[in-house]
Amino acid sequence: MADFQNIIDTLIEGDQEKLLSLAQSALDEGISAKEILEKGLMAGMDIVGEKMEAEDMFIPEVLMCARAMTAVINNLLKPLLAAGDVSAAGKVIIGTVKGDLHDIGKNLVAMMLESAGFEVYNLGADILPDKYVEEIKDKNADILCMSALLTTTMPMMKVTIDAVSEAGLRDQVKVMIGGAPVSQDFAEQIGADGYASDAGSAIRLAKEIMKR
Amino acid sequence: MTKICSNQYAMNSPHAQKLSDDQSQKLYWACLEILEHTGVRMYEQEALDLLKKAGAVVTDGNRVRIPSGLVEKAFSTVPKSVTLCDRNGNPAIRAGGYRSYFGTGSDCLHILDHRTGEYRDSVLQDIVEGITLCDALEHIDFAMCMFLPSDVQQDIADRYQMEAMLNNTTKPVIFVTTEFSGAVDAVKMAEIVAGGERELKQNPFTACYINVTTGLRHNKEALQKLLYLSDKGIPLTYIPSAQGGVTAPVTVAATMAVNNAGVLAGLVLSQLKREGAPYIFPGWGGNMLDMKTTVQPYCDPEKRAQAIDFAHYLGMPSFSLAGCSESKLVDQQAAAEAALSLFTDALFGGNLVHDVGYLESGLCGSLPQLVICDEILSWLEAFMKGVDVSDESLALDIIDEVGPDGQHINSDHTLKNYKKRWYPQLFERASYNVWQRKGSKDLGQRATEHVDTILAEHKVEPLPKDVANAVHAIVEKPTA
Repeated sequence: MADFQNIIDTLIEGDQEKLLSLAQSALDEGISAKEILEKGLMAGMDIVGEKMEAEDMFIPEVLMCARAMTAVINNLLKPLLAAGDVSAAGKVIIGTVKGDLHDIGKNLVAMMLESAGFEVYNLGADILPDKYVEEIKDKNADILCMSALLTTTMPMMKVTIDAVSEAGLRDQVKVMIGGAPVSQDFAEQIGADGYASDAGSAIRLAKEIMKR
Repeated sequence: MTKICSNQYAMNSPHAQKLSDDQSQKLYWACLEILEHTGVRMYEQEALDLLKKAGAVVTDGNRVRIPSGLVEKAFSTVPKSVTLCDRNGNPAIRAGGYRSYFGTGSDCLHILDHRTGEYRDSVLQDIVEGITLCDALEHIDFAMCMFLPSDVQQDIADRYQMEAMLNNTTKPVIFVTTEFSGAVDAVKMAEIVAGGERELKQNPFTACYINVTTGLRHNKEALQKLLYLSDKGIPLTYIPSAQGGVTAPVTVAATMAVNNAGVLAGLVLSQLKREGAPYIFPGWGGNMLDMKTTVQPYCDPEKRAQAIDFAHYLGMPSFSLAGCSESKLVDQQAAAEAALSLFTDALFGGNLVHDVGYLESGLCGSLPQLVICDEILSWLEAFMKGVDVSDESLALDIIDEVGPDGQHINSDHTLKNYKKRWYPQLFERASYNVWQRKGSKDLGQRATEHVDTILAEHKVEPLPKDVANAVHAIVEKPTA
């Protein structure tokens, strides 16, 4: 019986070296890479997300956990996982809208989504509506995440959603928005599917939205 | 333990000054003139004898005129810094220079009960809980008893207060007693805890706060305590309470002069009794009676700072007051006055800063208010630190490495250093949504919950059983 709790605790501590050695021992014991990923790493990151939302953890600590998890996946698990073993939680296109260069919060959400098992395509900042549309098509995305920090760039979210609709992709993707001036009301106004006020709730919303 | 330090290293922390050195010198000369020319009344024979023998002139039975030379001589023997230890004898407070330490006040008649919101007479259990809180709070450095217990025999209430302080904190304690006998018993208790008279003298973990009628009238109990404690070598602060407009002229300078003439008279006596006796100056001056309400305001802006400057000028440690308010509630006024007064005392470098958590101009105490002050002090501790502008802290190599397009949030440099920045415990920074999710609580509600958490979780290191029993025996058999 693998000690998943120990893996979970070690992940939460962000101790990369110890996490690698625990994962290696689990593999040596014959535990499958898929099980280690799901019952250990993913379960741990779920708790990290909750702690972050409850302000029990500092952001750099959260990122340290994410980094430790990625190291285990890339160094140990990836070669052992069959293509079907890791069904990504969903495919996400994320970026800051045209005219806006702010990307700290957006990058945080991207990193957190990734460690929560999503396949994330982080386009960067100052992204044209057409670029979003192109990427959604190309990556066959499930979720579009947009961020804006300026009241002056907020309208670009609506413009982008309209562009997605015109391209006939609106039924394919759910749209999530975030950023300091953005609100739930605004999300409803422009026809987005959801709003998250911080990275922690963004992860929760993304998981919830995938079930809709 | 907090050690807020104003200007300890030149310009490495913020500092402020209100009186110039020339003004302090003028004030000092005024005090000397009052002592020599006007004189003070002293209602204690031993004090009169000591002063007379040293060269002072006594007329009219007890009016003493003290020559300036005696004051100058006293300054050559009094220590310029006072070290207070914790209950276990380890140095905890070095009062002097610009180092600031913070503690509660004493003897509030009322408490704003944090559980019920009720305004009521305080009881012994309030002291136990208040001192436990002091023991737990990181930025409270010493304790005074906070409340006057209404549920014990009133003439020995000070013995109960001292016992409760000794039992519920290891931090230094400052006691106040009504009569002289109370001070004798407080010292007895402290000696039991320290393990003897010599041990307490060597590593004092307690000091006495002495109130004197006014700068020019020194009551018998105050003088008795002054002489007794000076002889014992136990630190004391001698505080005449000249009231501007009543027992002194209403101007700040005149009230300061009358008050400090009294402080200097006390200093002379302490050094005549025993050279080298530790003596602490009051860190507020220019009291006034509020002519509308007859209240003596605690957070009066005009009585702040200049007495600390004066103590610095004379090279003496100071005992000042801050974190107090005239408000009847833990409300916006209470928070504003607490913050302003704590901020000024930290900035001017008052040494032992008491009355933290007071409401109603010293008549009411509140545990949540004390917790809010602890948060303010945590903020101030971070504010008062100097800025490190070194090659290491500039991190030019990291700036270059990450460049304009990279980000620092997951860099090793951030990981190594982010915890060195200040984070609030009670002040809310979260977004509106998150704050709502946490119950939409205001600061008062959060502070009240924090009090309950501390009281439920904090365990005070107990006194050894036999020591606690011996201390209690003094409460049972007080000195008459």
